[in-house]
This record gives sequence, structure tokens and C-alpha cells, in this order.
Amino acid sequence: MKRIRITTQIIFLLIFIFLFLQTESKGKDTLGYPVKIFLDFDPLVFISTFLSSHHVEVMLYLSIILILITIFFGRVFCGWICPLGTINNLVGNLKSRPSIITRSDLRRFKYYLLIFLLISAILSLNVTGIFDPLSLLIRSFSISIYPAFNYALRTVFDALYSKNIPVVTDISESIYSVLKKGVLSFEQSFYYQSIFTGIIFLIIVGLNLYEKRFWCKYLCPLGALLGLFSGYSIINRSISEGCNECGACSRLCQGGALTDGTSSQWQRSECIYCFDCDDVCHEKAIKFGFKKAGYSSIDLTRRGVTTSILTAFIITPFFRVVPLRSKVFESRLIRPPGALDEKEFLKRCVRCGECMKVCITNGLQPAFLEAGIEGLWTPILIPRTGYCEFRCTLCGQVCPTGAIKRLDISEKTKTKIGVAMIDTGRCLPWCHETQCIVCEEVCPTPEKAIWFEEVTVIDRNRRKLLIKRPKVDIKLCIGCGICEAKCPVRGKPAIYVISTGESRSKENQILFS
Amino acid sequence: MNRREFLRLMAFTALSTKITSGNSEASRFDLSVVRGSSPGLITRTAIDALGGMRRFISRGDIVVIKPNIAFDRLPEHAATTNPDVVREVVRMCFEAGARKVKVFDRTVNDPRRCYMQSGIYDAARNEGAHVEYIDERRFVEMQINGYALKRWLLYKDVFEADKFINIPIAKHHSLAGLTMSMKNLMGIMGGLRRSIHQRLDESLVDLAGFVKPTLTILDAVRILTANGPQGGDLRDVKVLNTVVAGIDMVAVDSFGATLFGMKGSDLGYVRIADRLGIGTMDLTKLNIKRIEI
Repeated sequence: MKRIRITTQIIFLLIFIFLFLQTESKGKDTLGYPVKIFLDFDPLVFISTFLSSHHVEVMLYLSIILILITIFFGRVFCGWICPLGTINNLVGNLKSRPSIITRSDLRRFKYYLLIFLLISAILSLNVTGIFDPLSLLIRSFSISIYPAFNYALRTVFDALYSKNIPVVTDISESIYSVLKKGVLSFEQSFYYQSIFTGIIFLIIVGLNLYEKRFWCKYLCPLGALLGLFSGYSIINRSISEGCNECGACSRLCQGGALTDGTSSQWQRSECIYCFDCDDVCHEKAIKFGFKKAGYSSIDLTRRGVTTSILTAFIITPFFRVVPLRSKVFESRLIRPPGALDEKEFLKRCVRCGECMKVCITNGLQPAFLEAGIEGLWTPILIPRTGYCEFRCTLCGQVCPTGAIKRLDISEKTKTKIGVAMIDTGRCLPWCHETQCIVCEEVCPTPEKAIWFEEVTVIDRNRRKLLIKRPKVDIKLCIGCGICEAKCPVRGKPAIYVISTGESRSKENQILFS
Repeated sequence: MNRREFLRLMAFTALSTKITSGNSEASRFDLSVVRGSSPGLITRTAIDALGGMRRFISRGDIVVIKPNIAFDRLPEHAATTNPDVVREVVRMCFEAGARKVKVFDRTVNDPRRCYMQSGIYDAARNEGAHVEYIDERRFVEMQINGYALKRWLLYKDVFEADKFINIPIAKHHSLAGLTMSMKNLMGIMGGLRRSIHQRLDESLVDLAGFVKPTLTILDAVRILTANGPQGGDLRDVKVLNTVVAGIDMVAVDSFGATLFGMKGSDLGYVRIADRLGIGTMDLTKLNIKRIEI
């Protein structure tokens, strides 16, 4: 059984990595693979977004399958499928002599976290995505781990290329081109907060060197949710009389279901069915079988539950008394095209990072405080890092909760995410008697949202010049940001996008209509 | 001179005239302008009218073809070179014995979308060309020593190839006036090429004088008459079903201007290039072969 479990874990991890690598444009309008399928099966995403926004994206109904599997078979997802679980398992194996004594009190923390997250969601504050293991994994990989991995490999290959060593460089270049087709990203991506996100992820994974599956046992809210559903599981663990209470099984219990050093206290909600214990038992006293047992409850303290609920009630107002929740609009809070109105967006976004991974220009970046603390790690467009490609619709295709709507090309090209403004104190034609209009050249709107006036100016040498001065037609501009991205005035550009005029907001507008 | 010597002299003169006139047929025309409903066929005819691809490509050549793949648009938007024109040129290069044909362009929009949506990736690849994305490491600083461009990063592959074929599409461009063969060379420039707009006409002339394509084929199957170079509105596209071929880029661009109702002299870079002797702007001085299919 253990061997089958390991095989399944590896298969699902490989599928996860494959789909992650496919979350990248190949130039076509669609991706061709169901890259967000792991999130579609995630019941925590399903339940939390339903509680906060009262809406469920169709694909998320797949998570009911996982709930049913858990009701019948317990937390097999954790032990057999979850890619973060597998990573925790693998790293935990690096520890030479695992002798774990699971702390039964700490096991409760993940339930308290879950309660906090669900109650907050009911109060419309949805920060589940920060702690959901699949969101966490995809986000960490997208923003930090994968870009760093790319950077490391590219540096090595580029160094060999530039040194141009006779036989070696040819070999490295052929290996490089194979890797570029399979494993490396098309271009190197750069993300804000990549160190921050990466360190958090490495700590979570690093905790396995202290105690195997630390995250799964003590922290994971999805594990807690599945634990709640596992009360009636039909797979049960039984001990025969041969048990001599040596405690070998409890020392390597991955889920932390055995805590008192013996085999008698098996907490079903913690068991992840890894089948390590029946393998290790010298007396062959452990058996897993199908037997309908009674409901196995979870042992939480009343104080803990109350604290969790109260924390949700107390924290939520604190998050909400920021000017962003009144009539102040942050002009650099530019959301992806198809994003819902900000209040609705924040209820649905699970900060999974799929949109940031797929964004073909690397323009979508994780917010820090631009959208308030509540908006941490939600996607914002930073045109200088990447503009929004006019005919691309990928972000809406990969969003699991519909925080970013799926748009087709004709809808998307009419969706405004902001408007461009020219800083005439920096613009070359406006201020420096120099010809340019690169912004007008690259503006993708068919009727050109940037036009120009021809003006005769006199430069300091008394020469007459006919200069074309760009102007933005704010009725036509969709705020895609290519003008800002390509403006030759580096650093602080002479044309920049502000969020005003975005289609999704009724109030964030300038023009009379 | 006796009668035998006279006859021998007459025969010799007649024969030598025949030989020399046979050769000059190939280089008689400076430009070929072909109109017809099949983009592939008019491309082939335009090149044949200049002497055929074998005049330009030798057996075993490595050829670089540079179409305009700069924008994320479909072929009908007339923002990128017609894929059927590119396909025919690739095919003719292989027919003439080319060993390898490379197709690339440094795009403005995302390269994957540009290559795919323009249809050029599939069209060229299906003919056996190596269609590659730009590799930033292959830009090499070259001493251009022009009036505006002193030195610039240019793509190594162009200069390592045996032959270089330039395949622009004719479009409106607010700053340049029109973008055709000389402006198309910007696709081999690295670095911050958007800064050359500050001295655009002179920079384009410098580039044209430094990079001398073997052959230029101007795609005017569809032209973009307004809101270029990006386009996007089908109402700005005019179908001309025409291809113009030539070696002299100044001549090609000068003729191309007439397709928009303009003159070559309306374009700054054409005027300057003509003045510097890089090419000929005056169409009356050129031998133009026009064909209608």
C-alpha cells in the first residue's frame, strides 16, 4: 500500500509541475491545458469564495468530488495527492533519523486558523488564499522559486556561452536549447516581493527538517477542512493484541494521528493514510480495513474556537477602516482586464498567482500595500515591468474564482483598466524640443488613443523645428500601459497609466457620460 | 581585308552581340511590380522578373529572411508581412539550393504572439525554414559610423549569413510617414532602439547604408493606410494584391510611396538616402517591369 501511495504522490507531483510549466503562452489565444485544475478541486477555495462572495465558479464544483472522497476515505488527498504534501514528505525524509513526537495541542492550531478564515469570509474578508496550500504553492513557485531557478540556470549557460570554449560551449548550448523547450520559461521573469515570498516558502518547507510534515500537521487549513469531513471515513485502523506498545508507529506517523507513544489513540481526522505505520510494525499488529465506525470527533478547546471566531470579528473592521474602502482611489492600483469591482475582487481573489505566472509580459505583480493589507499578493499591473498585451486574454482564463472574468478578444480590447496621462514636464517633444512619439507608434487601439499636434518650436540655437507633440484621447485610451512601458524616458516615464476610467468601477471615472 | 576575313569578322560580331545581349536580360530591370490575386504567385513572378532567385542565392547559402513580424496582429490587419509571401520566398531559396534559411524579427509586442498570430511562424516552418526567436546574446556592437548612428548593437546572424532578404510590408507611420524596406531594418537592431526616433530619418539612412540586403521584397498585398504601424481596424486596410521587388531599397520605398498617393521625396529618409547616393529615388530614371496576372 505504501508503495502505491508513493507512486501516486510522485505522479500527482509530476502532473502539478507539468501543468505549472504549461501555464505559459505559446502565442495562441488559449493555453491548451487545464492548468488550474488542482485549484478547481480545492474545497477550501470553493467554500471560502462562496462564503465571502456568494458566487462559485463552475469548475470549482469539482471540489465536491474531493469532499466526497474525504467523507468516504478520510484525508487521502493529503497523503496521496497534495503536491505540497509530497514536497513536505520528500524534504522530511532528508532528516536522518525522524523521531517525531507529534504535539496534540499544536494540531489544533490548523483548525483554529480554518475557523478564523471561514468566519472572516462570512464577514466578507477573504484571506484564505494566503494560507491555502495549493495557492501558496503555486504563488511561491510563480513569483519566487521558478524565476530563481531560471535565473540560476541561465546564468550558468550564458557564462559558458560568453566564454566560448571550443567543445564545451557547443554542448552547453544544445543542452540549453533542450531545457528552453521543456523546463525553462520563455523569458526570465521578475517579481516584486520574490525574496519575501521565497523565504516564507523555504521556511515552511524547511520546517520539515525539524519535524516531517510540520505544515500538514499543524498549519494547513485545507488539511483541517478535510479533517472535519473525515469524521465518517470507512477506512479504519485497528490494532490486534500483538501490539507491544513499542511506539515505533507513532514515531513516524506523518499525519500526527498518534500522539501518546502508543498505538491506541488514533485520531482519524489527522491520519493521512500514508500506510507507513503498518509497514514498520514488527508485530504486524496494525491493520487498515474497511469498517464503518462511529463518528470520530476532533478535539478542540472551546477557548480556542471562541478565540478564532472573535479574532475574525475583531480583525475585519481593522482591515476595513483604510481610506481605500471609502472614496479614495489609488491611482496605481491597476487591476487586470476583466477584474471585478474592487470590493468584489477582494472577496474572490485567492492570491494563487496563476495570473501572474501566465501574464505574457510579466506585467502582473503581487501587490504589497497598494490595495491595503487585505489586498496583499493580489495581482496589479505595473506597466513598467510589463504592459497588458492588447489581444491577450490569458489571465481571465486561469483565474479559478472568477475574480478576473474570462473575456473574449473583442470584449477585452474594449475593457479599460485605466487611462494614460502625459507628464509634459518630462516628455521629449513637450519639454525638450526632441522628436519622439514612440507612445503613439505603439498604441494598439485601432483608432489610436494617442494622437499628436504638430508645433513649431525654436531650440536654443534659434533653429526652427517642427515637433509632433503627443496627446492622449482619454475617451479611447484603455490604459494597457504599452506607452508607459516603451516610453524612452526611463525611470519615471513621461507617460503613465492611472486607474481612473477603469470599466469595472462606477465611481473611478473622470469623464461625463 | 579579303572576303573571307570580312565574313569571319561579321560572324564574330554577330555572335558576340548575341552573347552579351543574352546576359543583360537578367539585370535589365531595377524594380519589378507584380499584381495578381495569389500572393505566392506574384512574389515568385516578381523575383523571376529580376532574374530569378538563382541570381541572388547560390547553392549551399545560409540565408536570413527578415519579414515584419513586429506586431501581435492577424494577417488581415496588414501590420505584419503576408505569410504567403514569406512562404514563397523561403520555398524559392531552397529551390535555388540554399542550405539553411533562417527567419526572425525583433518584435515590438510579445514575440510568441507576434510569430504565431501573424501566421509567419507556421508558414515559414512548414517550408523548412528555421524560425527562431531573438536571442539577446547574439547582438554585437557594430561600427556604423553614420551621421546619427555611430555604433549600435546589431543581430549577429544577419552578418554571418551568406545572403539577407528583407521582406517589409507597406504601412502608414506617423513619425516616418510610411514604413517600408528601410524602416524594416530596425528589426535587427538591439538595445534601446526606440531612441532612434529622435533622429529617425538619418538613423534609417545610416542603417540602410551599412546593411545592404541582397534583395528586398515589399509586400503590398494589403497595405495599412492609416493608424499604423500597429493598425487593428480593417477599414484602414487596402487590398492592392501587389508585390514590389528590387535591390535598391530607396527605389523600392520610393515606388511604395506611390501606392499611398505619395512621392518618394515626401519621405525624409528616401530623400536623404538618394542625396547620399545610397539609392535612386527618381522613378523616371529606373527600369520598372510591371506585370499583371
